[in-house]
Amino acid sequence: MTADPRRLAPREGHMPERDRPRADARAKVTGQATYTTDVRRAGMLHAKVLRSPHAHARIVSVDASRARALPGVHAVLTRDEAAGLAPVGTFVKDWPVIAGDRVRYLGDTVAAVAAVDERTALAALDLVEVEYEPLPAVTDVGAALAEGAVEVFPEPPLGIVPHYGQGASGALRPLPNVPYEFRFTMGDESAWDECDHVFTDEFRFSRMNHMHLEPFVTVAEATDEAIEVWSAAQSPFPLRRDLATVFGLPENRVRVNVPYLGGGFGAKHGIRAESVAVRLSQLAGGRPVRYCMTTEEVFLTSSQHAAVLRYRTGVKADGTFVARSAEVLLDGGAYSDLSPLVAEKAGYRAAGAYRWRYLDSVARAVTTNTVPASAFRGFGGTQATWAGERQVDLIAERLGMRPYELRLRNMKDLGELYAPGETPIDSDLKEGLRIVAEAIGYADRDRSGNRGMGVAVGIKDGGGVNKPAQARVKVTTRGDVLLQCALTEMGQGGHSAMAALVAEVLGCPRERVRYAPIDTDHSPFDQGTNASSGIAVMGSAVTQAALRARDAVLQFAADQLGGVDPAGLTLEDWTVVDAAGERHPLVPWIMHTFGGTGFEFTGEGFFKATNSDLAPLEAPCIFWEVGWAAAEVEVDPDTGKVTLLQLVVSGDAGRVISELGARGQDEGAAVFGLGQALFEEMRFEDGCLLNGEALLYRVPLAEDIPERFTSITQEQGHAAGPFGAKGLAEGTMLPVAPAIAQAIADAVGAQLTELPMTPARVWAALRAREASEAAGAPAAG
Amino acid sequence: MTQPDEQTTVRVDVDVNGRHHELAVPTSTVLSDLLRDELGLQGVRTSCERAVCGACTVLVDGTPTASCSTFAFDVDGAAVRTVEGLATEGALSPEQQAFAECGGFQCGFCTSGMLVLTKALLDEDPDPSRETIRAWISSNTCRCTGYEMILESVERAAQLRAEQGMGARR
Ligand code: FES
Ligand code: FES
Repeated sequence: MTADPRRLAPREGHMPERDRPRADARAKVTGQATYTTDVRRAGMLHAKVLRSPHAHARIVSVDASRARALPGVHAVLTRDEAAGLAPVGTFVKDWPVIAGDRVRYLGDTVAAVAAVDERTALAALDLVEVEYEPLPAVTDVGAALAEGAVEVFPEPPLGIVPHYGQGASGALRPLPNVPYEFRFTMGDESAWDECDHVFTDEFRFSRMNHMHLEPFVTVAEATDEAIEVWSAAQSPFPLRRDLATVFGLPENRVRVNVPYLGGGFGAKHGIRAESVAVRLSQLAGGRPVRYCMTTEEVFLTSSQHAAVLRYRTGVKADGTFVARSAEVLLDGGAYSDLSPLVAEKAGYRAAGAYRWRYLDSVARAVTTNTVPASAFRGFGGTQATWAGERQVDLIAERLGMRPYELRLRNMKDLGELYAPGETPIDSDLKEGLRIVAEAIGYADRDRSGNRGMGVAVGIKDGGGVNKPAQARVKVTTRGDVLLQCALTEMGQGGHSAMAALVAEVLGCPRERVRYAPIDTDHSPFDQGTNASSGIAVMGSAVTQAALRARDAVLQFAADQLGGVDPAGLTLEDWTVVDAAGERHPLVPWIMHTFGGTGFEFTGEGFFKATNSDLAPLEAPCIFWEVGWAAAEVEVDPDTGKVTLLQLVVSGDAGRVISELGARGQDEGAAVFGLGQALFEEMRFEDGCLLNGEALLYRVPLAEDIPERFTSITQEQGHAAGPFGAKGLAEGTMLPVAPAIAQAIADAVGAQLTELPMTPARVWAALRAREASEAAGAPAAG
Repeated sequence: MTQPDEQTTVRVDVDVNGRHHELAVPTSTVLSDLLRDELGLQGVRTSCERAVCGACTVLVDGTPTASCSTFAFDVDGAAVRTVEGLATEGALSPEQQAFAECGGFQCGFCTSGMLVLTKALLDEDPDPSRETIRAWISSNTCRCTGYEMILESVERAAQLRAEQGMGARR
């Protein structure tokens, strides 16, 4: 029987490949790596899209006749050519290929043109005449939920609620402009009676753009019978399903090819540029159509969820946490997309790293007339961690306790359950906090000169919900290995890590393993590259596939050796070593047995968590992803400017598969947190995005990274993934803003509850602090 | 009405990665399109196309330049170097070797620009301080790495160049 991939130990005690450069290093430093932006097809046309200038309006008429007549134009897509195409979304299906009777946000798709080049397509768009009748718009969650607010979807869209387990439930459209609500309850409500204090605080979370450098881009070749796309897509199979649904085709007539991705961070999950390009290609008689968005269009297509979080928390006089009820409002923008799932996670993660006797959370996805929000690194966890960790600090201050000690007092132990039916916590949370506190020098910190430090922790259920993954490993006559699976490479180093797992099992150098191009016609099925699931979920399937291929080889060798026990054989770089230590090259045996062309040994792998009604979210999570952070700041009390002096972050890899890969994920995620903490924000005015382009939207640059920026990859060794590994990539984003906020409070006493912590907000919080001190009580600002 | 594809072309003589080209180029063509579409140098990446992110950086007579926002006719008579011109006979340049070794890339979309930027920096200052490196690298955006590993890659590239006896070459 094939060994359990989740209980393997590497041969040398740790992965021999772990300190090597990534497998994709050469392709990427020579510029040879191929992205969707590089895909060219013979006769390829270029698409451009006309976007709504109104946040909300009825479309009275669309006249594209002049555009159609322009030389060089091969197809024009308006709502007339989109009739019958199904809308998409996770749980709630409300996003059409192109606006029908109304536009719902400034930037909504109104018409599209495919022409010989982009210039001609743009010229044609100028000739499309659209008459709008503006409607009142709801441009934030407050307005959308106000009494008598205009409904963005007067008719309820099609929707479903998944089958939840213990304590969890969902509801479609519980309120106007709320397509989805998630609720999670655990424990005994009477716990409120034991509280000595109950605190209610409100926190605000800003909305970031993913700002992946490679835009949304696709090349589509489509007829009414079949579709093929090359696309910058994180999740090839969900995209295949969505395209099959939109265009009413069997799934085996939709083929998705995915080259390297130039970043994703959540944004490239779901239909982005694809459906417009596919429809235009159909209209152009099957000619290939390339649709590559500009950065400005990317800004108008997807974003993070802004949020308002109200946390009501009851504690004992000694600081013991007892009960919490959380209400989370997520700004989902104009179309649901992944908002219901983000609501699920933002609600589910409200407990944070702490122990509660009672927890009740409700999270609502709210529809507004703004850019649709979608998956974003952290996925609801960042929002929950901001509110949860911030409230710990506010409570500590009110109780006269230290934030660090209050955390330790209430933090879950290793092995404790997050919720009934869930996977036990598989990291020592307190140990991690101690590690970052020590690394930054928290205990002996010098608070003079308006300096201060903060420490925080964020946790999230990792590996996705109920996610299946399959993989195939093929080994040729000469021992060359082909790995087939649909984990996309968007920068995280997943392909390299998967190849390392295969190499370890087959006892060969990683160079012998080639990661086959991803293509849904040939790659084994996978649910998507998301939720930090690569190493633990796909990694398990890949490892199992490699083990099965190895076992097939060893069985073949055992037969050649006259029926010895294959368990006594080992495989070392395509040579079988028998129990006596004698080495047998495989090639002569294979040639002798199979003849001239030789043979391929194949192993299939599969992994999925077991469904359980006891688990709140369909199945227990695969692992717990944890991020710890410690920050030191200096605050200028006159201007409110915060200078980040030190940032220390840490994640728990379980066991490291690739050192560079693990470190890169932790540092990259931390800098997303840094941007969110201090300056990054999509700013809207009346539904109009004010800074939707690279120059005005500020992302962290090298000069924003503190003098001392350290990441510590822990290997606590409690994870159940292959070789003891678990996922990284999101964890260290979670605690960064809370750690910086705590450091600001430590430095100058100002308590921030809204992101980003701009000089203006810090300055205002300082003035609020002074005013309340004059009045004799601490206050949140 | 003027047809959109009726364009005026100009002659551009340009040296790209050591090869001479004599081209007739429409006046509206930007350098990144010339390099990617006409010369097949797809290692040149474009992202913002607004001279902000630096993904499209190439060296024009040694100076880091946003090829997305430079007209092709502007490089007439110049020498252009792209990421494809860094390796010699298949051997990675010190900059490439350092980025590979130190993990100075993830998705790789900023990497071509970062590499030629690093080359320009080290050509000017073979032994730059952390602060100098930080200032130079701040002209380009990387959304993946968090920069620390890029800064280390640049330091390693300086070291490799010193070991290979490559001083300033300006
Ligand atoms: S693409 Fe040229 S600077 Fe961004
Ligand atoms: S490696 Fe992805 S943007 Fe730098």
